[in-house]
Amino acid sequence: MTDPIPPAAAPPAPPGRFTAALAIARRDLVEFVRDRRTLFVTLLLPMVTYPIVALASALGLRTVVADIESQAATATLAVAVTGAEALPFAERLRAVAASPPRGGPAAADWPAGFEIEPLPDPVANRALASGAADVAVDAPAGTLAALDGDGTATVTARLSTSRDAEPGAARLWEALVANVAADTLARRARGAGLPRAFLEPLRVTFPDGPAAAPVAPSIGPTLVGSVLVLLAVLTLTGAFYPAIDAIAGEKERGTIETLLMAPCSTLQIVLGKFLAVFAITLATLAANVLSIAATGAAAVRMLPAGMSMEIAHPSAGSLATLVAFVGLAAIAAATCLAVTTASKSGKEAQNTLTPVILLVSALAGTALLPGLRGKAWLAAVPFAGQIVVSRLALVGPEGPGPGLPVPVLVALSLASAGALTALLLQGTALLLADEDILFRGPDAAPHGLARPARRKVPSVAQGAIPVVAGLALVWYLQGLAPGDLRLSIPLHQGIAVILPLVAMLAWQRVDTRTTLGLSSPARGPRGAVTLVGAGLIGAGLFFLSAALLLALGGGDGSPAVRDLTRRLLDLLGNTPWWLSAVLMVLLPAVAEETLYRGWVLAAFAGVSPSRGRAVAAVAAQAAVFALAHLLPERMPATFALGLATGALRVLTGSILPSIVLHAVHNAVPLVLVAMAGGPGGEQLAEIATGGATRLPPAVVAAAALAVAVGAGLVGFAARRGDRGRSAVR
Amino acid sequence: MIVVRDLVKHYRSGDGSVVRAVDGVSFAVEPGEMVGLLGANGAGKTTTLRVLATLLTPTAGTASVAGCDASADPVAVRRRLGYVSATTGVPDRLSPREIFGSFGRLHGLDGAALADRVDRLVAALGLGSCADRPAGRLSSGQRQRVSVGRALVHDPPALVLDEPTSALDVIGARDLLDILTGLRDAGHAILVSTHRLHEIERRCDRFVVIHGGRVVAAGTRDELVGPGGDLEQAFFAAVSGAEAR
Repeated sequence: MTDPIPPAAAPPAPPGRFTAALAIARRDLVEFVRDRRTLFVTLLLPMVTYPIVALASALGLRTVVADIESQAATATLAVAVTGAEALPFAERLRAVAASPPRGGPAAADWPAGFEIEPLPDPVANRALASGAADVAVDAPAGTLAALDGDGTATVTARLSTSRDAEPGAARLWEALVANVAADTLARRARGAGLPRAFLEPLRVTFPDGPAAAPVAPSIGPTLVGSVLVLLAVLTLTGAFYPAIDAIAGEKERGTIETLLMAPCSTLQIVLGKFLAVFAITLATLAANVLSIAATGAAAVRMLPAGMSMEIAHPSAGSLATLVAFVGLAAIAAATCLAVTTASKSGKEAQNTLTPVILLVSALAGTALLPGLRGKAWLAAVPFAGQIVVSRLALVGPEGPGPGLPVPVLVALSLASAGALTALLLQGTALLLADEDILFRGPDAAPHGLARPARRKVPSVAQGAIPVVAGLALVWYLQGLAPGDLRLSIPLHQGIAVILPLVAMLAWQRVDTRTTLGLSSPARGPRGAVTLVGAGLIGAGLFFLSAALLLALGGGDGSPAVRDLTRRLLDLLGNTPWWLSAVLMVLLPAVAEETLYRGWVLAAFAGVSPSRGRAVAAVAAQAAVFALAHLLPERMPATFALGLATGALRVLTGSILPSIVLHAVHNAVPLVLVAMAGGPGGEQLAEIATGGATRLPPAVVAAAALAVAVGAGLVGFAARRGDRGRSAVR
Repeated sequence: MIVVRDLVKHYRSGDGSVVRAVDGVSFAVEPGEMVGLLGANGAGKTTTLRVLATLLTPTAGTASVAGCDASADPVAVRRRLGYVSATTGVPDRLSPREIFGSFGRLHGLDGAALADRVDRLVAALGLGSCADRPAGRLSSGQRQRVSVGRALVHDPPALVLDEPTSALDVIGARDLLDILTGLRDAGHAILVSTHRLHEIERRCDRFVVIHGGRVVAAGTRDELVGPGGDLEQAFFAAVSGAEAR
């Protein structure tokens, strides 16, 4: 039986700010250390992985080197000689082949034997096709005469493409040709009565052996990239089991509720969990680094003779790598925690985390892509950035570097890692505190394809879904997209805009009038004033955007922009005006406005948004709208268009002014091209198609005036009209 | 000490419909009192206790412990409340002593005060023989006592337990209820939910019966049970009456 439970000697003082986080970290660390899986991944895996990889690589290298040497030692070059002088040229080749060179480059590539046969053309062709002959040489009439005289003999050689041909036949053939040339030169010198020394003006001898040993080729720079990727992946793996155990494990054991009863915020609980997972990840990193150092020292001795693993900056580079990888360990721990928080069991967390680990590993691998190595911004990308920075610190830049010193890049990488880790921990705390996820789990959520309950406007996530789905569809179908804009514009609008919107409207029942803004902007003449104002803004915005594009890009667009401009010009020049108007004006204006300023903006803003949320929603949908246009050069202009149309939609509560603004904006180039036949037409056409290098100041001023007047008209109509139509509270 | 007033908790089910898990529940537990919260599965017991434990936010109404509101000041409530949930487990790789120590540190205990508190709990809960053994190797009864000890480590004036005896055999349940009775006698306010009525019939001072998220009966055993009857009959009568209404 039990004794009565005594009261505490004194009530505990309130815990300090980080007391709870440290207490949780301490408790979790003890648990992790007692988990054999964690110990295996943290200590055993690095100790085994690197030696195995190093041993396999060294053995592979030795085998390759031995193969190359044995190939050179046993190679036989089969030469089929055809043409009018096949027989005498074959004899000459045989004579040269019988006396191998005593030095020079040709000696290194001299094969063990030659098979040189004069053959008729068809036989030589068959031999070449089957690989029986490695080279077929056509010696035309006059070949020997040119060689024995003082001319240049021209022969034609074809190499076999058969898999059975001698590997490296081209190199062997060039060695034979070089020896033929040397032999011919010697003959000519003798014929001309010149001494042998004529052909050898300088000879160097080394009485004490070679002046210096040849520089050993280093495989260090090549290895560094692969080892860094492996280090990143194994460090990430170090966070795998602790992260699963930290929150999903607590849920599985039924201890999460008691933990959430701790007298602190959810963020502090998450911080404690993070500190424990981070500590294990750091330990994994340390074990990996130790294993790499020890394995590297041993692996040097296993390399084939003449090979080294030297790198440019071993000490400073290692220090920079360690610092950068501390940031990687932090993101790894925070990512694994965030991904597994919603899971209610260890198995479920493992299933969720495994594909994420694979994706992150692929992201780390992108750091080795040749085109990306020199980009400074890559330092801020999680997982890839640490590898880029470390590689640069260890082996130096290859070609043009990123232009920033290594310490700055390391600082950039650390700052990015810190910011991302903080964001991930905030997200984890939100997920952990979510009642539905905590007590009902992800499986209790409505079935993914089941129609959810009716809402007035879509949720924020539902606002993003059609945009992401549209972009994904465009990405996967782009290979099938026709080059003709008359087909590709409706196809693009259908796939990326209309189809996702219709699917979302069918799935999530909403108040379509509120969501899509299906109402007039204002009653009576004020509505007309609003539409006129919208049109003026649209026209002015086109010219201002063009001026901005020219100011930023100086008229030099990317190949993609130039190609689009050419195709647009072709469309405008070779299509009836009404079809151009439908394709360029009506279809994009109606479809894109309904999706972006209707569905997406309503989702981002919610019902009766505050002024702050409305502004944020307009900016967010404009950013999404700009991103969806894919071409970076056009993004500032499309972002500005998205801002203007979004603001109109929020101010008037109606989609119609946005459609008018967008339509007029897109109609301007059509009108400019139509006017191009008149005075100043050439300049107008250049402006319309983006071919101009600058806009006349008068045009820019008129455009700014149009925007200002348009905004004034819209504002006037809104002030005089029904304020209740505005979507803002 | 524990006050629940007009508590409402709704949530959205998988098909989008609204579930009224708790729909206007009110009751109170005074210091030195043990109250049994009775109800069938799905009656709203666990939801009510989770709101008290600050794990759920109420849709309406209030739940407070020692004058601290669970929604407005959850951290203050957690410092004054011990909570043992229906699914409570213990960390398998930690010993009872380590579990008590880690939760003590969470509540700001440290050094000699923490060591003293842990020793007292180990002795009081009869865990002396297994205090340093990993919890994964303890029996169900021992694990449940560890859960109770963990909830008491900061010496809270109020204790809430959700189905604490459901995984225990008769002897384990009796031992645990003995511990709770001792705590009640020491002045703690105890709210215990269960559907094993016979176990607590003679232990609790009062009972609150909820059904469909509403209180359908409340009072002492004598007030609820008719002459010659028992608590189980009274419970069925209250529930049947509520369904008939």
